[in-house]
Amino acid sequence: MIVLEAIGIKKNFGGVVALSNANLRCYQGRITGLLGANGSGKSTMSKIICGVYQADGGEIKYKGRTVRYRSPSEARKDGIAMVFQNLSLVADLTVWQNIVLGKEESNGIFLNNDSAKELSRKILAQLLPDLDINKKVSQLNPGEMQIVEIAKAISQNPQLLILDEPTAALEQAQVKNLFDCMRALAKEGVAMIFTSHRLWEVMEICDDVTIFRNGENVATIDFEKDEKDPEKIISYITGDTQKTKVEKKHVAVTDETILSIKNLNYGKSLKNVSFDLKKGEILGIGGLAGQGQLELMHALAGAFHSLHCDAELRGKKIKLNRPLNAIKEGIVFVPGDKQLEGLFLKRSVLFNMIFPKMGLPGHPSFIPYDEYRRECEEIVEVLSIKTPTVDVPVENLSGGNQQKVVVGKWLPFDINVLLLADPAKGIDVGAKRDLYQYIVNQVQEKNTSVILYASDNEELVEYCDRVLIMYEGQIVASLEGGDINQDTIIACSMRLR
Amino acid sequence: MNKNNQNSSRPALSNYVFRPEFSSLLILIVMFTITAILQENFFTLKSIVRNINAFAPLILLAMGAAVVIISGGIDLSAGSALSLFTCVLTTVMKKSDPITGVYAILVTLAVAILVGVVNGFGIGYLRIPPVIVTFATSYIWLGIGLFLRPTPGGESVEWFRIFYNPGMIEGIHPYIKQFGRVIPPALILILAACLIWFIVSKTRIGRHIYAVGSNSESAYASGINTAKVQMQACIINSIFIFLAALFFVGQNQSGDARMGDPLTLRAIASAIVGGVAISGGKGSVYFALVGALILNFVNKIIFFADISTAYQTLVSGLIVIIAIAAPVAYTLYSKE
Repeated sequence: MIVLEAIGIKKNFGGVVALSNANLRCYQGRITGLLGANGSGKSTMSKIICGVYQADGGEIKYKGRTVRYRSPSEARKDGIAMVFQNLSLVADLTVWQNIVLGKEESNGIFLNNDSAKELSRKILAQLLPDLDINKKVSQLNPGEMQIVEIAKAISQNPQLLILDEPTAALEQAQVKNLFDCMRALAKEGVAMIFTSHRLWEVMEICDDVTIFRNGENVATIDFEKDEKDPEKIISYITGDTQKTKVEKKHVAVTDETILSIKNLNYGKSLKNVSFDLKKGEILGIGGLAGQGQLELMHALAGAFHSLHCDAELRGKKIKLNRPLNAIKEGIVFVPGDKQLEGLFLKRSVLFNMIFPKMGLPGHPSFIPYDEYRRECEEIVEVLSIKTPTVDVPVENLSGGNQQKVVVGKWLPFDINVLLLADPAKGIDVGAKRDLYQYIVNQVQEKNTSVILYASDNEELVEYCDRVLIMYEGQIVASLEGGDINQDTIIACSMRLR
Repeated sequence: MNKNNQNSSRPALSNYVFRPEFSSLLILIVMFTITAILQENFFTLKSIVRNINAFAPLILLAMGAAVVIISGGIDLSAGSALSLFTCVLTTVMKKSDPITGVYAILVTLAVAILVGVVNGFGIGYLRIPPVIVTFATSYIWLGIGLFLRPTPGGESVEWFRIFYNPGMIEGIHPYIKQFGRVIPPALILILAACLIWFIVSKTRIGRHIYAVGSNSESAYASGINTAKVQMQACIINSIFIFLAALFFVGQNQSGDARMGDPLTLRAIASAIVGGVAISGGKGSVYFALVGALILNFVNKIIFFADISTAYQTLVSGLIVIIAIAAPVAYTLYSKE
């Protein structure tokens, strides 16, 4: 039975066309996958269905009648719930307060907190039983937040549940819990829309997929009838039939140690971390989410003022307790949460590109704009960043291009160590390929060393020469050569080996 | 490091110690002790009653300011609104006719709600930044106040003193007179404000005020009518200001269109000293009361310490900065 049918949806933001002619169908008890590159209109489509945006044209039929929601609360009354990509949680409220937010029950005039806590416990028991529901959301790690967000949507007993990239922040065990939960909901007859950049997830959980490109649906594949062919799906997403794998010749890593870290300690999150990084090596950092990997990347980037560590770069002692120190030594950081840590969203591409230089000592007081503009345009060219001019605010660029700006701003620097903290998070297949292609080129041509933290183990397997597994702030395993595969990484992450 | 670990194993204690409100409580105790040492008759009943009366207006305005700041706004019109309410009260009241006192209270309450609605409409529905809205409305309230009462003055019914000191009313039962000497009506007004907020905080409105102030986009996505919530916060603030206006007219028996101005920023500062985050969503309305007490004690200390008038504002500014900086330094240190 068709629960929802969207026909010819159109949506413009300013002059940018987000959806030109999009169609979508969802069936009772089935999970529909939405696939597409960043900026292809998947998120916009989801948000129109649940009332965050209003369509400029087209028609949405929900249970056979035409609907036009003006706010999320209207859609919710009809049983449509959405798990948001940019979380809809309130940091200063507790987990259970967030789960019932907007639909609090009361007895008389006062709120009924007991029933709210019980409901929260019941739903979280399926997804993450260990979570303390009295914690404030600001104290949770990104994976836990995402699960609370999912619990919040499920608590509404929806008939149509939209999950917009719910797995991006989750580790694999949590993804498994989520999938179990989704299958149970599907059995109860809930229709679901699921988006993810991880193809294998979509192929595992979805009953059918609809692929979006440039604001249109270009294909629908029913997994019950059609075969599951990842290459075909990728070619629908990118619109070309080009090979998707990054070429990586295995160059023997040199013996020269470029960065040596000994006894790195920071608070409770990092304990006695020691390792050597070779010149031209791609060193992976893996493990379950939130075991100190992000903290380690931040520590190496000089973000922690009170860091205790003996660090040597090419045998010379360096201090890593100021970002400027790290940058001066050519240790540069590409954060995963680019919008928070890597970019000034409202400023232009040019501003973002030249900004790191202005903090360096000896920078001229008057900014040589003409010179910088030429340099910036070159970088845009090299990284094939899609932007009309360099004066466009970065927030107008798609996620993948934003990430390229974050990488690009370090290009003029003499990079010794490139720190990548989940650089591919939330960017699409095409942009991811470009990004890694560029990084691999850097390593091969300039012998740059890279430390890569990725939440997706596939990226570690594909690109790393060596993988360190972290657990509770310590390095518990170091994998090399043939040991770098999905199974070993997961086994070491969970300390099974 | 070790100390930290011990703390985390006892979450009940650390939950309190690590809250920014905790340091404001410490500062209050220090201020209280200094004042008690400097002022000889600090612990006499008369002095306590007098102090509570003196502190009441700022406390009420600080609690109102805290509600608005927690909802993500700010109210620069609080002082002018207070003045306006005193003007309305004294305009409606006729000294000869005691019943006009009741009319005045009802009319002013309606005006107070209207003031909250106007501020809330600008902030919530028109989405004008709160600083701009309330800066503009502060002149509107001042203008209306001056229209009603170009010069300070006006009439008040005799029984209105009940909001300041029942002991001053002629022909009242001696027991009530005595009662007024022990429990100042100002304290009852403050308790009323606390009770109002206690009820509100246990309802949907209270929860939503925190949610909207913390992250209004998330709150909107959760199906909350954020504009309505911001308006409700403004109305609660207005009602607290209204309580302060009752006290003023009871005390002075007159209205003044300009008397409230200095209180606006002091109320906001009190809320912040009390640990309310200026960014919204964090803090406690009750601790705004603590903040107001700190600011009041600062004035008392400066008065009793015989500091030359030339330096009084300088010293009080320094103490306020220390009061705000201490919690920041404290949290930075405790994170280490």
